[in-house]
Amino acid sequence: MSKDGVHLNRRRFLKTAAQAGACFAAPYFVPSSALGRDGAVAPSERIVLGGIGIGNRGRYVLSCFLEESDVQFVGVCDVRADRRKSVKEMADAKYGNKDCATYIDMREILARDDIDAMLIATGPNWHATAATLAAHAGKDVYCEKPCSKNISQSLLLAETFRRTGRVFQAGTQRRSLPNFAYAVELARNGRLGPLETLHAHPGGLGTKMSGWEAPDPEPPRETVDWDMYLGPAAWRPYNRKLMNAFHFEKGGGLVGGGCLEWGSHCVDICQWANNTDDTAAVEYEPVGDQLHARYANGVKLVMRNDGWLPLGSCPVRFEGKTGWVETGDNAEFEASTPKLLARRGKKIPGYPADFHVRDFLDCVKTRALTRANAEVACWSHIVCHAANIALYLDRKVMFDPKKCEFIGDDEANRLRSEALRAPWRL
Amino acid sequence: MILKTRYFVCFALLVAIAIGSLSPATAAERSAASRAKERELIAVLRSDAPPKDKAIPCKQLAIYGTAEAVPALAPLLADKDLASWALIAMEAIPGPAADKALRDAMGELQGRLLIGVINSIAVRRDTQAVPGLIKKLEASDAQVASAAAIALGRIGGQPAAQALVESLDDAPAGVRSEVAEGCILCAEHFLAQGNSTKAIKLYDTIRQADVSTQRVLEAIRGAILARGSDGIPLLIEQLESKDRAKLGIGLRTARELPGTDVTQALAAELNRLPVNRQPLLLLALADRKDAVVLPTVLKAAKNGAKPLRITAIGLLIHLGSVSCVPAVLEAALEGDAGLTAAAQETLERLPGKDVDAALLSRLGPAKGKQRQLLIELVAERRIEAALPAIMESVTDKDAGIRGAALQAVTILGEADQAAMVVKLLQEARGSKARADVTRALLAVAGRAGTACLADLLPLMKSDDSNLRMVGLRAMAIVGGPDALAAVKTALKDKKEAVKDEAVRTLSTWPNNWPEDAEAAKILLTLTESGKKTSHKVLGLRGYLQYVRGSKKLRGKEKVTRIHELLPQIKRAEEKRLAIAVLGSVPSSEALELLMTLAKDRAVTEEVYSAIVNLTRRDSRGLSKDQRREALKTVVEKSKNNGTKNRALDTLRKLR
Repeated sequence: MSKDGVHLNRRRFLKTAAQAGACFAAPYFVPSSALGRDGAVAPSERIVLGGIGIGNRGRYVLSCFLEESDVQFVGVCDVRADRRKSVKEMADAKYGNKDCATYIDMREILARDDIDAMLIATGPNWHATAATLAAHAGKDVYCEKPCSKNISQSLLLAETFRRTGRVFQAGTQRRSLPNFAYAVELARNGRLGPLETLHAHPGGLGTKMSGWEAPDPEPPRETVDWDMYLGPAAWRPYNRKLMNAFHFEKGGGLVGGGCLEWGSHCVDICQWANNTDDTAAVEYEPVGDQLHARYANGVKLVMRNDGWLPLGSCPVRFEGKTGWVETGDNAEFEASTPKLLARRGKKIPGYPADFHVRDFLDCVKTRALTRANAEVACWSHIVCHAANIALYLDRKVMFDPKKCEFIGDDEANRLRSEALRAPWRL
Repeated sequence: MILKTRYFVCFALLVAIAIGSLSPATAAERSAASRAKERELIAVLRSDAPPKDKAIPCKQLAIYGTAEAVPALAPLLADKDLASWALIAMEAIPGPAADKALRDAMGELQGRLLIGVINSIAVRRDTQAVPGLIKKLEASDAQVASAAAIALGRIGGQPAAQALVESLDDAPAGVRSEVAEGCILCAEHFLAQGNSTKAIKLYDTIRQADVSTQRVLEAIRGAILARGSDGIPLLIEQLESKDRAKLGIGLRTARELPGTDVTQALAAELNRLPVNRQPLLLLALADRKDAVVLPTVLKAAKNGAKPLRITAIGLLIHLGSVSCVPAVLEAALEGDAGLTAAAQETLERLPGKDVDAALLSRLGPAKGKQRQLLIELVAERRIEAALPAIMESVTDKDAGIRGAALQAVTILGEADQAAMVVKLLQEARGSKARADVTRALLAVAGRAGTACLADLLPLMKSDDSNLRMVGLRAMAIVGGPDALAAVKTALKDKKEAVKDEAVRTLSTWPNNWPEDAEAAKILLTLTESGKKTSHKVLGLRGYLQYVRGSKKLRGKEKVTRIHELLPQIKRAEEKRLAIAVLGSVPSSEALELLMTLAKDRAVTEEVYSAIVNLTRRDSRGLSKDQRREALKTVVEKSKNNGTKNRALDTLRKLR
């Protein structure tokens, strides 16, 4: 993870977005005074934050939260003792006290009435379930991606946040970065002509089932709570390798794979460019090393396993009838004509999450929808899950986004969900 | 026997993988393959295979299982290790057999095993399970009762709703929240079926019940939405509530409840709310995407408390049009910093060519602060047609206007403006003024390229050595043979500082690399016969960068150049550049030179890392044996674990 030391405030982002001409891509500006954060923030105006499963990525996102003057981080929950300790040290060092509480069971931290919002950065196995528990407990949620393990979880996540009225932000921070916003702007305002093809680079396309490894000696619960770590995943004995949450139940238990790891970012950007944040592609077909999908509006989405851009990680390319644009994590652009890039704005490489975190915090106060709200995340994840299912079955599948069903395909339909291990449910 | 079973399991899994990877097949062929697959998987479950080997077959039965698999799966629901795996299949297998098996299990199991079964019944929405679930509402295990309450909510219907409402008051504290949630889920079912009366009744029951705040909020939201326009008073009640949580759900619901009458009611409410809540409601109004909101926003932008005005001005970016320009310009010039910032931002981002035209037409006659603001705006909006007007202001008496104009030239200026900017530079007095004009000049040079070279060359002949140095920086940006010739001349400048700048400029000659071979020749000469050590070092660095980036030189030529230069490469910094060149050429000569460089401890690890990178690529330039030998050396001698591991990994792949 890189953030290149970029901690820019919201106004700087807006300025950047302004230069990018990214009108609908930029959030509303809300005066600090309206949000109770001009000057010193009164304790009553602070957003009290807790964290669940704060590992490497989580620590970075937490550091973005800690930079915000209207945030007070008060407690961390983790199944691993070493991580509980290190996050507590991080928070206590920030505030100069010893107040950060630690928990093993997330239900205990969620039961605290004084906490407004949760940062959830567990492995993907827990994301949807923990986010749902948090919403039911009345917390707003910033949740790392991939946010769901399958299509059904994606839908239930959106439904839960709709019903509870809680604020949700998926950790797809590229939604808040000006270079991606600018490329999306070009695609959506017709500067490329009618959109024809979108390219995303979810490296690691391919599926595998998460299995049952040989048992290792199980540590005491205080060191690693294995039962809680497994959470909603089917039971298996303790195994050290599976403690790497990055790989455990990756992107979905039944047919997990790398598609969700990067697709939740780059496919999400393509969804945004195609103005299809409330629907999914209708056709998915493995073609060589690639997965080709097609939307009802005729636009083709090419999910590529191979890189093709020298523009850093997570590259996307949008092709219209009269022009094209590419961008990626180094914040550079390539385009069919330099004129397209005249107002591309400031370069902010390294996919920092500061703006995304600020967007979340502002929405906690205004109760508006975040840039990567549960509905947006739901549909971009569904595209990735449907692609995964086509890859697993190794054949073309047709999807009806209105019914959220594959058409005439029982096998594909059964892959839409997976039972959770008790007592967990969505 | 166990060995046999394992063999069988492996075979079955192989079959499964093969089925999964079949090339496009007809639905009938797929169906036949699925049945065969199901039989294999059932056989695994019925075998004496250990639990480990039954786990994945359970998962696969979720895809391929039918009623035939249910008898094999059902006993596993009571198996503490395999129950969660078996449920994956049972939850997915369609048909009454799986429903019945789950209902039967509900009558027999306890604790977590029972909860799992209840949760799966909920997902399957088995209406025949409702009586059994109602009984479970009274279970002594709070988690079981809670699961039953949610399951009843998921299934929905009058019997479920009635049972949940009846149990609400007496439910233990640990269950009541789930009972309330069940009621809310039932209400959603009623609403989806068009029965808003029943839905409202349920929502109202929960919002008045002694349940958690979050459940009450959900019920309030549901009660408002289910009532439609009749829900406006309840919505307004939340917006006016002293309870922040209720205000929060009110703001959220204000975005959801459809109807122009709702928008109008909310707009009317705006001025009745306390000042600190007005911006929040205005934002919610804007999110309704209702055209009738615009007059309210425009009015709020002109009048009202400052936070409201700032919010409204910001919203005009998304909602406004060219008609809003006069009002926002006026706000920008009121003299309040907050309003100015918001208004300026809106005017920079408000979309439309008509907005460009409106600003441009005002720029001509504008004076004072308004002129300064308009110059800033046209620059930010990249309105090139404004350049003539901007250039009239670069010598304005007003420092603010002058500064804005120069900044605008920095953003927009092209070749046509270059001569004027050079003149400004020649006339600039004071270091800040000169720095500002220099910035503009370099930006113009970057955009105009060689088209502005003729305008820049006078700087190189200036009597002022500082101007000659600015000229050198501009030459590097412009590039090309003529610019290079001017820099070459500057190497003989009478001033040492100018000579130094010329060397620095050459060493990072950026624009035409690697095509400009002439620069390389000069750098090589500096390397060999520079008059100062710093000139030799910069010459060497520049030359190494040229070799590295050159697309004309072939790999072999690059290695030869490095080989020839090696005696002069003495410092670690330059050795690293040489290593970078060699590390990009897969050849035995490059490898040999890298090994030579590895003897210098200051760069040993960099060399080893380069060797690993070099040998990872499959290339004709290096045989497998050569790659293997080099990697073995790295494994043996590197002290960096990362490099060593990469070397080992590459070695493994080579075998």
